Amino acid sequence: MTTIFKLPDLGEGLPDAEIREWYVKVGDEVKIDQVLASMETAKAVVDVPSPRAGKIKKLYGQDGDVIITGQPLVEFEGNATEDRPDGGTVAGALEVGNELVAETAVVATGKTQTTQVKTTPAVRQLAQQLNVDLNHVSGTGPQGMVTAADVRAFYEGKTTADQTRPATAHGKTETIKGLRRQMAISMAAAHAEVVPVSIVDDVIIQFKKEEVTERMIRAIVYACKEEPALNAWFDGQAGQRTLHSDVHLGMAIDSEEGLMVPVIKSVQDKINDPAQLRQTINEYKELAQSRRFAADQLKDATITLSNFGRFAGRYASPVVVPPQVAIVGVGRFAEQAVVVNGQLCARFVLPISLTMDHRAVTGGEAARFLAALLKDLST
Amino acid sequence: MTQTTATQTGISLIEAVTQAMAYELAHDPDVLIMGEDIGKNGGVFRATLGLQERFGTRRVMDTPLAESMLAGMAVGMASQGLKPIIEIQFMGFIYPAYDQIVNHLSRLRNRTRGRLSCPVVIRAPVGSGIRAPEHHSESTESIFAHIPGLRVVIPGSPARAYGLLLAAIRDPDPVIFLEPMRIYRKVKQIVPDDGVALPLDKCFVLKEGTDVTLISWAASLMETMQAAQTLEKEGVSAEVIDVASIKPLDIDSILASVEKTGRCVIVHEAPRTCGVGAEIAAQIAEKALLSLRAPIMRVTGYDTIMPLYRLEYEYIPSEVRILDAVREALAFG
Amino acid sequence: MTQPMSKIVAEFQIEYIQYLQPDGEPIQALPAFANDIALLQDLYKWMLRTRIFDQKAIALQRTGRLGTYPSSQGQEAIAVAIGKALRPDDVMCGYYREFGAHLQRGVKMEEIFQFWGGDERGSCFEHCIDFPHAIPIASQYLHGAGVAAAFKLRDEPRCALTIVGDGGTSEGDFYEAINVAGCWDLPLICMINNNQWAISVPLKEQTRTQTLAQKGIAAGMDCLQVDGNDVIAVLDVLYRALEKARRGEGPTLIEAITYRLGDHTTADDARRYRDEAEVEQAKEAEPLIRMRRYLEKQHAWSEQEEQAWTKTCQDDIEAAVERYVAIEPQPVTAMFDYLYGNMPKEIQEQREQALMYAGTAVSPH
Repeated sequence: MTTIFKLPDLGEGLPDAEIREWYVKVGDEVKIDQVLASMETAKAVVDVPSPRAGKIKKLYGQDGDVIITGQPLVEFEGNATEDRPDGGTVAGALEVGNELVAETAVVATGKTQTTQVKTTPAVRQLAQQLNVDLNHVSGTGPQGMVTAADVRAFYEGKTTADQTRPATAHGKTETIKGLRRQMAISMAAAHAEVVPVSIVDDVIIQFKKEEVTERMIRAIVYACKEEPALNAWFDGQAGQRTLHSDVHLGMAIDSEEGLMVPVIKSVQDKINDPAQLRQTINEYKELAQSRRFAADQLKDATITLSNFGRFAGRYASPVVVPPQVAIVGVGRFAEQAVVVNGQLCARFVLPISLTMDHRAVTGGEAARFLAALLKDLST
Repeated sequence: MTQTTATQTGISLIEAVTQAMAYELAHDPDVLIMGEDIGKNGGVFRATLGLQERFGTRRVMDTPLAESMLAGMAVGMASQGLKPIIEIQFMGFIYPAYDQIVNHLSRLRNRTRGRLSCPVVIRAPVGSGIRAPEHHSESTESIFAHIPGLRVVIPGSPARAYGLLLAAIRDPDPVIFLEPMRIYRKVKQIVPDDGVALPLDKCFVLKEGTDVTLISWAASLMETMQAAQTLEKEGVSAEVIDVASIKPLDIDSILASVEKTGRCVIVHEAPRTCGVGAEIAAQIAEKALLSLRAPIMRVTGYDTIMPLYRLEYEYIPSEVRILDAVREALAFG
Repeated sequence: MTQPMSKIVAEFQIEYIQYLQPDGEPIQALPAFANDIALLQDLYKWMLRTRIFDQKAIALQRTGRLGTYPSSQGQEAIAVAIGKALRPDDVMCGYYREFGAHLQRGVKMEEIFQFWGGDERGSCFEHCIDFPHAIPIASQYLHGAGVAAAFKLRDEPRCALTIVGDGGTSEGDFYEAINVAGCWDLPLICMINNNQWAISVPLKEQTRTQTLAQKGIAAGMDCLQVDGNDVIAVLDVLYRALEKARRGEGPTLIEAITYRLGDHTTADDARRYRDEAEVEQAKEAEPLIRMRRYLEKQHAWSEQEEQAWTKTCQDDIEAAVERYVAIEPQPVTAMFDYLYGNMPKEIQEQREQALMYAGTAVSPH
């Protein structure tokens, strides 16, 4: 390539052309095909592109000058080759960056401090369904993994641990399972944590004894509104208390196997329809016999009702199960001799026992709660 | 352990390759380099820039245009105690050499029960993303990882390129050393020329994390690290592992990470089917199933011919696809 | 040690053919087809068109509209002669410097731009049955042998032509192809574009052989050298070789000697490894100048015609560039739609996934 670019024939043997306008000046770096000037011929105005890349050294004329076809138009600097930085490849275009970055890579050691609970995906799914925290389940499978049986056992209180006999057993010794085992575990845990205080009282009722459960529920809802401190969860470790607006009522129901406590969620919304409430209670009683409650029917109670007086017992100190802070008990009710307006008469009397966790509930709150209970029950 | 001087500037991955080869040429008289256009031209990517001037034409040799010849010659030279470093210009041109690599380089030690062996390094640029013509954008590391007797190493940074190439050259067995073109000159690092090798057969942890393990190599480490930064902002702590030594695989390090996080996403540019990700996934499933909280995810190139450059970024696993895979894994709980 | 007695069992000779010297003067009587001045003008016009096309392609790469591109500057006579000599139903298996042949054989300029512009549709060749560009060196030689074998098996009077660079004659595929071509008397024209350089490796470092043509001796085929910058000579030897092959008399190896005036590709810089003086000297022997000189002496060409034809070519090329630039990009599904005749299920699934992510990646292109 020569360094001097001569004016090409801009069309069909035109002898010359006039420079209308330069688009470049001396010193400019131009690219191939970049327009150098606009030239006017006898026929047309034509843009003249650069035949090469390079730096303009000289322009052979000014605006308005006439250049003869074949005569020099533009001179480029240097020798006839383009100046290209070494792209460093024969194919493609590498992105070149100059950012200095630190090397963060560390040779891996193949060791780790923390690990996941070892179990299979299927068992993880089962644990999710049963709302079992795998971290609390001890594993008996290969490599110490948690098996599905371990999860179910934790959920139902079963165990496949070794059975041990006390040396001086006289009767038939069995390892407790199922609900009985669950009871042993949760009662022990509650005892370890809760500071229980019980208050008891009586109330003369005017409703039929068949309606006791529904009226108790209604009364609890009323009392929770009056004294919300007993419809709460308490976390002793974290020192946190959660007051609930919903009343999720745990209903202690006895079955052949033992005690179950299904939960009627948001029972405050259900007390206006006594028939519906009755039906729900009956369903729960049936389900308790077959123990076919779903996992989420057994959890999240905010306060519990225990109708313990079916056979005997007037007053009791039922156990508060954390994170709840209160449990209401109803003993055996019967017609009793009471004094009303100075006259001796027979009336149905309901013995009410209230146990609360004194870490979370004050005596005054408990008393007010109880008073509200009695007030509602007496109507 | 390493010394830096005040005058040290950062070098790119390709310059680290040059630095490593120069170090070995200077310290081991048996090391030599052969390839096309590597002498006067310094290599089509300038990997051997200045080396022929420094070490002469008996150590840095331009050869006729024949890849099978290069690999086969390497077998012969290595059997006589030389340590050839062969440059194949692009991974797409390594296939004529595959016969010699599979049938001889990988087997000579075994065939002769150790009497003869092949301390050879075959270097080739790998991967796409540089607007190159057809055949210049391959990622077929798995056809080498499949072959017993070979090592396959892919560096992910200038520092690792230097340390791993030194290790590869010093290793007594054939190493296929694949250099990701897309990051040849992307960033610079200070890499002291101290001759200290990095271990082969080990992964590298680029970022520690607790919620998910991201496993990758080659240029896909870029998108993987970008995804890890994005996840960090979303409160997800990702651990990023550079496999680096594709074969033999440091599965223990991968397992330790997966046992910690319970979730993993493997990212590679190579096509999905029978990619190295499949091997890693199978081993994780065999040995760490009990720690998995979600299926092992793979984000890979599609099972298509590498497209010409207009579509190459539709093919390369993107940060978006990696993030989606992580979120899918997290959704399992 | 004394030499034993022996007898010569084989000898060979390699002929070199040239008609026009670099100054445009014939060195011998021209072949009969040279009487057809229109044909010679046509040859020159195709060479000039190829040259202008080539320059435009380089310009497109420099302005970011084309990817890496391999210039054929200085080697136009070879490709143009191939394009003129082959029949429409012959098949060419070239590498990537045969634009002068492709353009004559129906490949559109925009198709060539598309291939180097990263779009596979550039190999569709709407109007040409040739093989697409072959980038793995010398691999096309075997394809040419296969095509020729098909013609022979079917008793068709068609020929295959394959061509490789000087560097490619070191590859195994080259030897395997010429061996079978010789062994089976294939109707295959084996050409070598000896432009003296394989990227940075000069011929003398590529091989010890005196001529590349004589590699054909080892394959048992006729072989010769031709001045690759003399389009009349290249066309002449091609006509002869094709006629011979069509008569069933087997393959010919033709080494066309030329010079690579440009870089290996637009991403190469030949100044790194070769002398500018050598390039300047080679320019004096380049194919366009000598053909133009000859034509001008026959009063069959002039500066005016040069300008006019240059303008026509430039206009045609600009129009092709416009068409190329305006082409709708391929959808992402194009990656999947041409893998198999019948799309397997797993490909269908990945195709849908790719569609989901289409356009979401950050691309510097």
